[in-house]
Amino acid sequence: MASQGVQRAIREVKPILSLDREEARKRVLNLYKAWYRQIPYIVRQFDVPRTVEQCKVKLREEFTKYDEIKDVRLIDMMVIKGQMELKEVVNNWKQKGHIMAYFKDTLEPRPKDFLSKFLQGKE
Amino acid sequence: MSGVTKVTTGLTGLAVSKNPHHTLGILYSKILRTLQKMPQDAAYRKHTEEIISERANVLKANQDVEVIEKQIGCGQIEEIIVQAENELILARKMLNWRPWEPLMKQPPAEQWTWPPAQKPKN
Amino acid sequence: MSMLRRLFPVVVRSTSLLNPLKTNSQRAFATEVTEAPNETRPTFRKIDQVSVGQLKDFGRYCAECLPKYIQKVQVTAGDELELLIVPEGVLPVLQFLKDHHNCQFSNLVDIAGMDVPSRECRFEVIYNILSLRFNARIRVKTYTDELTPIESCNDIYKAANWYEREIWDMYGVFFSNHPDLRRILTDYGFEGHPFRKDFPLSGYVEVRYDDEKKRVVVEPLELAQEFRRFELSAPWEQFPNFRNANPAQEEVKTEKEKK
Repeated sequence: MASQGVQRAIREVKPILSLDREEARKRVLNLYKAWYRQIPYIVRQFDVPRTVEQCKVKLREEFTKYDEIKDVRLIDMMVIKGQMELKEVVNNWKQKGHIMAYFKDTLEPRPKDFLSKFLQGKE
Repeated sequence: MSGVTKVTTGLTGLAVSKNPHHTLGILYSKILRTLQKMPQDAAYRKHTEEIISERANVLKANQDVEVIEKQIGCGQIEEIIVQAENELILARKMLNWRPWEPLMKQPPAEQWTWPPAQKPKN
Repeated sequence: MSMLRRLFPVVVRSTSLLNPLKTNSQRAFATEVTEAPNETRPTFRKIDQVSVGQLKDFGRYCAECLPKYIQKVQVTAGDELELLIVPEGVLPVLQFLKDHHNCQFSNLVDIAGMDVPSRECRFEVIYNILSLRFNARIRVKTYTDELTPIESCNDIYKAANWYEREIWDMYGVFFSNHPDLRRILTDYGFEGHPFRKDFPLSGYVEVRYDDEKKRVVVEPLELAQEFRRFELSAPWEQFPNFRNANPAQEEVKTEKEKK
């Protein structure tokens, strides 16, 4: 198993965009900034029932969710997808429902203890 | 000029060539010059040189466009010009790509087997 | 003159011209007589062995011209020629097939994807191209994994634009240098790539109209009944003894291998 892991590490890979961690980090920050600057316009354009501050917190949450990802190519791929998503928002291809999907505001927390499970009639 | 009588090629976007004999001659010599930069034993060079020199000989031997078309047998003279243009672009790109070199890399094991090989169960 | 032209005598207007070129190239690729017997069963498609032989010749010709990129040449389904190439060779091979005098495959019919999770490079990208001049088709296959980008062939075939977007959307194969790579079939905000084999049949989320919110909401999928796992193994694995009873492809030996 160990030798396999070493082989994996040595295997030459074709970079997507970035050649090292630093470059990937810059791309992530750029994407973050682009979203950050877009937020006031998003709130106005889509009539989002959230304040700009709440959206900024959400944005941070969405980025820090993937903190543990270290693979440069994986980061690149996610940055690419993030850029595509931003483009969809800016061009108004997404609708309000798509924006609100980030907040998951209709989602009720799953019942944990016995009584609430019983009350909801699940299991 | 023999080509003056032709009004249209009948193909959308392909205009009648004003001086096909001259154009084609230039193109062929350009292709041959490009091919000369390739190594002597490159298969692409050998095969392309054959095709081009054969067509160039037909071109040299005849002045009449119709006879040339008939002898080359690959469409109207305008189409033949387009083919030559494409070949020229290709040949120039080939100089960068160097496709005559040995195989870049072998495929991963079991990549091209069909039906697909099963993953070893551990 | 050209391997393909001999396939289709309609195109040939002059036979005298064919002679000078027959000297070395044709001798090298002397059409081999295939050992396969002629199909006599009435409900089976008849395969013209002569044209298959010519297709093989053409495959060998390509492999000889582009030894750097072509890994394997094979004939599948009886009479369909396939070139299996390295991922880096997509542009050179397609450009060669499009612009070379003997090929002129000027139409891109389709680009397809394929996912075989048990392979190291799980995705295959398949280009189907057509030569109107020689009335011939050829298939070019290459491979990649989830993160390795493939060069976009949009500069060679304009038709590739939407096909590549489709592959990106369905499989998540990234095409570098594509002018406008974005989703084409799935909804905005859709997560995952539906044609991957590990994508669940029901998807990850469900979309419904919420009367309270007066808008469409997206929620993680919850099935009323627990989704039952059905073990559906591939049909060709039911009878492992017959795996290769009908070989799916026939490899064409290239010059390289003969040496």
